[in-house]
Amino acid sequence: MPRRRIYNPLTELLAAVLLVVLVLVVNRWEFSLAVLVLVVVPAVLVSGRPRQIGLAVLLVAGPLVLSSLLLHGLFYPEGRTVLLDLGIARVTTEGLSFAAAMGLRMGVFAGVLLPAAMTLDIPELLATMTHRGWNRKLVFVVGSAIGLIPHVAMRARQITRSQQARGLVVGRGPVSRVRALLAVLTPLVIGLLVDAAERNSMLEARSFSSGVTRTSYLPDTDTVRQRGVRRAMVVAVGVFSVAWLVGPGAA
Amino acid sequence: MSSSLTLAAGTAVQRPRRLLLALGGALIVATYLFLVIVQPAEIAGGMGSTASLVSLFGFLGGGALLVGGILPMLSTSSLVVMPLGIALNIAIGQVAGTLGLQIYLDAIGTVLVAVLAGPAAGAATGAISNAIWGLFNPFALPFAAGAALIGLLAGMAAKYGAFRRVYLAPVAGLVVGAIGGLVAAPVAVFMFGAAGTFGTNAIIAVFRSMGDKLLVAATKQGLLSDSLDKVVVFVLVALVVYALPPRAVRQFPFARAHRVLGARTGTPARSANGNDAGAA
Repeated sequence: MPRRRIYNPLTELLAAVLLVVLVLVVNRWEFSLAVLVLVVVPAVLVSGRPRQIGLAVLLVAGPLVLSSLLLHGLFYPEGRTVLLDLGIARVTTEGLSFAAAMGLRMGVFAGVLLPAAMTLDIPELLATMTHRGWNRKLVFVVGSAIGLIPHVAMRARQITRSQQARGLVVGRGPVSRVRALLAVLTPLVIGLLVDAAERNSMLEARSFSSGVTRTSYLPDTDTVRQRGVRRAMVVAVGVFSVAWLVGPGAA
Repeated sequence: MSSSLTLAAGTAVQRPRRLLLALGGALIVATYLFLVIVQPAEIAGGMGSTASLVSLFGFLGGGALLVGGILPMLSTSSLVVMPLGIALNIAIGQVAGTLGLQIYLDAIGTVLVAVLAGPAAGAATGAISNAIWGLFNPFALPFAAGAALIGLLAGMAAKYGAFRRVYLAPVAGLVVGAIGGLVAAPVAVFMFGAAGTFGTNAIIAVFRSMGDKLLVAATKQGLLSDSLDKVVVFVLVALVVYALPPRAVRQFPFARAHRVLGARTGTPARSANGNDAGAA
């Protein structure tokens, strides 16, 4: 069941980004672990889709963490404390701790940003951007691209199936694969360009390029208090970052 | 309103846009130089908090400034093709996966937009593409400036004739890929310790086993992988744009004005078309 939304999407996204910034500023594995356990896990659990989001975090961050562990765990020439010598590869304490710290950082990165993005109400975010006076062209490109992604993926699947029905066989060689990709890509791009030309005419007919203020059909869910909170969060993180990096806590 | 008044207002509006472009470009160059010249020793001794922050804010901030300066100058025909490029970047990655391809092909949309609508539209497509991709895959986010650079260089290559002959496209792809690899390497190293796919990490592991520093190994891997990837992407885009109906290409003022596909794009455009081409 989807969770009840309390904050504006812009506030939630900014909070997630600032948390990532804090993890980079503090740069200690204890803090990263604390964010992972105290913020990320509860956020995923109350997201309304814990299984789906947890799986996405694992799928996105898992391979990167594993490959980092293999790379730095086995090949870290700066390492001095050798735990296991395998000839060209050496397992060192320094390499393992570097891989673990990087893995933790990547886990936090995915764990903080993915739940925020996956529970995002995109129409509400775009409406807020319009109400706050963001560049209309940026709002159009972002909104249109997010809407197009599933459409393009579906059309690509349909074209692939059609070409396979007409005898497209993907061989093992790179030439065969590139040829198969071209057989899908060319009709896909032609169709999308025809759509884009039509959209161009429709937008011009609705005076898209004029400079007047845009109207959003969705109500403004952003409040004065949330705008104040966003500014306060940015200032607080900025002040803390400077104090941490310049002051006695500097790494 | 008289035409002279319109022209004066346009010139006044262009100044902050150029300032944004100059600031964005300068920030990206300064960030790259800082990471490469000042920081290489730091990564061996730890994760490098300052380097990570500079990498994140320098490249993301530079990309945002570039987008802020570019978007107002783009025509509607360029804007409507940008979401298409962004969606292609993401969707073709999935198709490539289902076809079992070993390379990512995540810049096809960016290069396609750059060839049809110009370097400015290409750069904006690359940066926004990675920002939106960041919603699905947060690790794409810090590479926004590198993606913008790929779009910019692809558009410049198209402007100066790299797509007028199909056999010139891979040469341009090789050069653009090498530059893209050089820019992406410090981001990968200082943000994520150069963690990538098992394939790219295997290449880094080879260089690390020879004693290379992490930044040097990641840069060599970037030069190899990105060059190969962009050669394939540029060839694919060249084959696709040559397969398009000529009227589909001619709807773009940049492609017409600079005769991107040679004789297929017709005679050079004049008058109103020049605005968009010049902006691009």
